[in-house]
Amino acid sequence: MSFDERILIEQVMRQRWYGAKSRGVAHAQVLDSVVVRADETPLALALVEMRYETGAHDLYQLLYALRDDEVLIDDDVALARELVRTLRAGKTLHGAEGIVEFHRVAGFAGLRREPVDVRWVGTEQSNTSVVFDEEVILKVFRRLEPGVNPELEMLRFLTDHEFASSPPLDGWYEYSGERLVATLGILQTFVRGGLDGWELALDEIVAAPDQFLARLHRLGEVTGQMHSVLASDSNDPAFSVETPSVETLGLLTATVDEEIERVFLELPDGNEALAPIAGRGEEVREQLRMLTHGGPTGKVIRTHGDYHLGQTMWAAGDWVILDFEGEPLRTFAERRRKRSPLRDVAGMLRSFAYAATAASFLRGTEAPDGWEQHARTQFLDGYLGAVDGGLLPPGTAAVDRLLAVFELEKAVYELRYELDNRPDWIGIPVAGILRLIEQSQAAG
Amino acid sequence: MPDRWFEREPLWFKRAVFYEIHIRGFFDGNADGSGDFRGLIEKLDYLQWLGIDCVWLLPMYSSPLRDGGYDISDFLSIHPDYGTVADFTEFVEQAHQRGIRVIADLVMNHTSSEHPWFQESRANRDGPKGDWYVWSDTDEPYRDARVIFVDTEPSNWSFDPVRGQYYWHRFFHHQPDLNYENPEVQEAMLDVLRFWLDLGIDGFRLDAVPYLYEGDGTNCENLPPTHAYLKRVRAEIDAHYPDRVLLAEANQWPEDVVAYLGDAESGAECHMAFHFPLMPRMFMAVRREDATPIYEILERTPGIPGNAQWGLFLRNHDELTLEMVTDDERDYMYGEYAKDPRMRLNLGIRRRLAPLLDNGRDEIELMHAILFSLPGSPVLYYGDEIGMGDNVYLGDRDGVRTPMQWTGDRNAGFSHADWAQLYLQPLMDPVYGYQAVNVEAQLRTPTSLLRWVARFISLRKEHAVFGLGSYEPLRSDNPRVFAHIRRLEDDVILCVHNVARSAQAVQLDLSVCTGMVPEEMFGRTSFPAVGELPYLLTLAPRGFFWFQLRRPGS
Repeated sequence: MSFDERILIEQVMRQRWYGAKSRGVAHAQVLDSVVVRADETPLALALVEMRYETGAHDLYQLLYALRDDEVLIDDDVALARELVRTLRAGKTLHGAEGIVEFHRVAGFAGLRREPVDVRWVGTEQSNTSVVFDEEVILKVFRRLEPGVNPELEMLRFLTDHEFASSPPLDGWYEYSGERLVATLGILQTFVRGGLDGWELALDEIVAAPDQFLARLHRLGEVTGQMHSVLASDSNDPAFSVETPSVETLGLLTATVDEEIERVFLELPDGNEALAPIAGRGEEVREQLRMLTHGGPTGKVIRTHGDYHLGQTMWAAGDWVILDFEGEPLRTFAERRRKRSPLRDVAGMLRSFAYAATAASFLRGTEAPDGWEQHARTQFLDGYLGAVDGGLLPPGTAAVDRLLAVFELEKAVYELRYELDNRPDWIGIPVAGILRLIEQSQAAG
Repeated sequence: MPDRWFEREPLWFKRAVFYEIHIRGFFDGNADGSGDFRGLIEKLDYLQWLGIDCVWLLPMYSSPLRDGGYDISDFLSIHPDYGTVADFTEFVEQAHQRGIRVIADLVMNHTSSEHPWFQESRANRDGPKGDWYVWSDTDEPYRDARVIFVDTEPSNWSFDPVRGQYYWHRFFHHQPDLNYENPEVQEAMLDVLRFWLDLGIDGFRLDAVPYLYEGDGTNCENLPPTHAYLKRVRAEIDAHYPDRVLLAEANQWPEDVVAYLGDAESGAECHMAFHFPLMPRMFMAVRREDATPIYEILERTPGIPGNAQWGLFLRNHDELTLEMVTDDERDYMYGEYAKDPRMRLNLGIRRRLAPLLDNGRDEIELMHAILFSLPGSPVLYYGDEIGMGDNVYLGDRDGVRTPMQWTGDRNAGFSHADWAQLYLQPLMDPVYGYQAVNVEAQLRTPTSLLRWVARFISLRKEHAVFGLGSYEPLRSDNPRVFAHIRRLEDDVILCVHNVARSAQAVQLDLSVCTGMVPEEMFGRTSFPAVGELPYLLTLAPRGFFWFQLRRPGS
């Protein structure tokens, strides 16, 4: 099918998942395209390259339909349905420079009939999702990177090792071409009637705080089980438990320290929300140095990588864990790195700080006094009781110390994110960083 | 198809930071006293953190090790001290998963005298390998070729009592040159390349390429058939192995080296070549407090094809080579940098970066700044990022090949073997010894050289202009300042370096940038906008500034 490529490229730039809106695009081109269905309204997917003036570039996956010579992008229901049909059939489609292979996992029993109800759900930073008959969900990766997407790798592993708290992987599709090999999308069983963990927290923090604390104890257990499963296969080199090399703690310290320095260097003047930490970068760095002054670090394993309440659901009386893609702004190489499981734990603890404040921001009601501290205690109690203890450094003090390092790392990352995206929320990471400084002063 | 973990990017090497590793000296993974591939795998997280794009491995092949492995006795196997071919492929896969590519040294010019090819050639002059080396009844031919290893080799010919003939060798007498006039030799070497390329290697640093062919009445360097053969190798790479690179080691003047990069008319040759004459001139400039030698050698450097790149370095595993300087300049360099005759080797100085600069932190940073600012891809030498020292009492070039200093613990954290078992003992002197200089301590110290180098690498990688942009020298009336502009589309970088021991002021003619605002790249501080008058800057002793020139409001 022939049409003007410029239309596709303009479409990419209009999409919510297009991450580089502020950058000047120097060149853009369609690298390859594959016809998913060829009839009077052809359906296709394309790999589009956007090259920026700085010399960098990104690759995006675009889905489109041609109808009456008009290009329809993305939210086309017929197209989504066709993708799942192709996936179920396990087809291979050919483009000009490569192939798109559709894989169905053995035992996938969903969608025996034509899906009736097809709806596009949320758009994230790097992907969009479609739900079919409340039975399966197709996640389409938009910004593409070479290699296996960590989410595919993680879900395949968790499905193979029968982790009960994540919905199983049902299939995926990927591109192999002259330019790169890339995961394009995954199909996963849909969680029916689930409540988003973040929304549930905001609702219950005020309405039913004790009930939610009990739920968090359970979330700790599920998290511990997740780590134990992720650490359970010594034959798979991508997942086997490793003893970190001697400089691991040093590398972590250096990375976090540089990040602190950069963020504090770029703190804008005159922002009241920043006042409690303004000019205190050196104290934060000093605190980091104290926390990382030697000591055991436990083992490193593959982790969730971007763990917070928004990645969980409460369904059928228990927690479900979702979104194993990792932090979307980091490279695959960084996301796939084995790390201490406590890094996930720290991410969740930071999420409790967010929930406590957001309850007042978004629901207009204050969390009960000390709620965040209770939440931490409940979650950690559940976690430490369930996780394979051999993965953690020995002793409570060592666990607390390492958790503090990861919480600091996370809070600094949040500070940068909020400065760039949600200035109203800056107070949350600021309070987190302040707490870590003041802890050390209280201790010293 | 490209490797699974990389997007196809034929010009990746133009933006890459390379890191040269002596496998034996990096990390001992099996506690036998010698570094190996298992050990390298354990240290990949470190290299990823440091920001390295490509590792260059010194020779890894089977070898009697009479020349640090550059005497190869089997091109298709790994030296047992380093592991196996399977360990090598595992290392490449693990590196690729971290976004790091791997190239390795390959010696095409010669083999070890222990290579079965040579043994067969000397034993049977009429046999199938009889003509694979350069044999002669006399030591008369090719009199115009210089002797390179002047300290040890009286002639390029040695007599072989077994065959009763002389054989040709441009380096040590135990390294006979292959005879590239023989088409079977040409094919055999292509097979060697294919073997490693098929295992996933990202390219080769081609050792001693100028010497492949000999010719009567010539100096036997850079001869046309040598170039023709390299073009054939390149054609093979282009046809079957996308995104792999050939990096030429041709220790020659820039005008001769550019021929190894090929051109539009005669066809492509190597992707990269080292710029040898630059490095001694940088040291000279710092010592004489005069930037002129740097300006001059860059002026003398011809343009290269758009798809080629210079490899730039401060130090490497060899001596700091002084072949590409005048006799006077060499005397000057010896006098300033190698007062102790033990520090000299052949035509060069066998010392590491930090000792060459008297361990001066400002000087080390300044040299890195100049290196990173120039058009080319920087190549770092293992250990120099922490300011390791050398041991001039060790023979040949071993003094700059001591174990990487990872920690202040036993064996510098390099090996779990017994101290006496180590291939070389780590440095223990009070200034450069492993208790004072090691990775672990420097990771924890925000002001350490290591942390500075990592930050500097990351800064350079944020700006494609350093790898891809133009170079515009800015001469001023102050010869102690080396200044230039790099430009890639709208990204304009001004680099100003003071090579003097004293503070300097300089007035730069920035009239092409009038109205633009210089922003210092480390601290993101804005400086006054460029006006009509010359731009005045003051620099600390051995200080430097890199500015991004921004249009107001952008």
